[in-house]
Amino acid sequence: MMLTANQYDALRELGNIGAAHAATTLSQMLLSGIDMTVPEIQLLDIANIYQHVGDETSALIVFQIQGEVSNGGYILLHLPRASAIRLVNILLGNTDISAGAEMDTSAIIEIGNIMVSAFLDATAGLLNLVMLPSPPSFALDMPHAAIETILAQQNEDLNEVVLFRTELRSQDALITANLLLLPNPPMLRQILELLERLVGPT
Amino acid sequence: MTLTDPWMSGSEIRVMVGIGDYAIGNNPMSTIGLGSCVALVLHDESRASGGMAHIMLPCSQGRTDRPAKFADTAVEMLERELRLPGTRKRSLIAKLVGGACMFKTFNGNLNIGERNIEAVREQVRKRGIRNGGEEVGGSGGRSLTYYPAEGGRVLIRRADGTTSTL
Repeated sequence: MMLTANQYDALRELGNIGAAHAATTLSQMLLSGIDMTVPEIQLLDIANIYQHVGDETSALIVFQIQGEVSNGGYILLHLPRASAIRLVNILLGNTDISAGAEMDTSAIIEIGNIMVSAFLDATAGLLNLVMLPSPPSFALDMPHAAIETILAQQNEDLNEVVLFRTELRSQDALITANLLLLPNPPMLRQILELLERLVGPT
Repeated sequence: MTLTDPWMSGSEIRVMVGIGDYAIGNNPMSTIGLGSCVALVLHDESRASGGMAHIMLPCSQGRTDRPAKFADTAVEMLERELRLPGTRKRSLIAKLVGGACMFKTFNGNLNIGERNIEAVREQVRKRGIRNGGEEVGGSGGRSLTYYPAEGGRVLIRRADGTTSTL
């Protein structure tokens, strides 16, 4: 698989729009400003994913992307454990934000739902098709373990993946969140074709 | 999402084994964030060295480009790589880690973790390699480090922070 510079740019712009909408929802929930990084788009060999995705226990809310797209693409909201606990406690108005506090799983899943739906709505709108998140799965686990488990369900020939990642950060609330998009090859091809039509021949 | 980890970092030379990859030798070898994949360690007791494969799927169906990625080709390949003059088959010990089932909802009926465990076990048994212990199944991720020069010790850390040794 090879991506041209134009394709990288188009994908980055698409990720940018999606992440900006997700950031807006987070900003509204937290009533604070959110900083957002430029989306990273990387074509990675599966053997090197560990260099980009670690094993620190995190809140992971995982959705399969459904709708008018090829099945098998996934989107994840990743929050380091401390950020997830802080976020939920702020939203629920808990004052006890001690280190040992438990995480409200249903609340964090709902936050994931809101942010990921906003991301998919915005990107689907731009591509002029329907993209919906599946019901979510939640794990308090290692991000690398989640990603390799998702990849193991793809085609046996899959040796490379495109990983989108945007980091959202609230300085006031000390919260970091990552949005990760893992399109499988058929979905990626479809998205690239739609983007090309949108931008016109280059 | 960084790789900094006080539990595993240090001055030692450590070889990282990514998905579908493998390593051999006598330096410590690590795999981080095992989900449904299985890490297979083959330890050669007579030489205090060995190898590790990060196996992703049970069956290669004839593919040969990444032998460590599939259970059926990985066990054979690791054994062959380790079979140097002076290695007796009896001194090889297998240890299995991983094969978790993380997301039941996305799996349908096929539990890849479970199938990976079964496939690796079967290959190990078929090749007459002694099974030296397993830490498999369940629903959580694992990271591990294998120390060939320290009796083939395998240190495992789970997502909940608990650790164990094989």
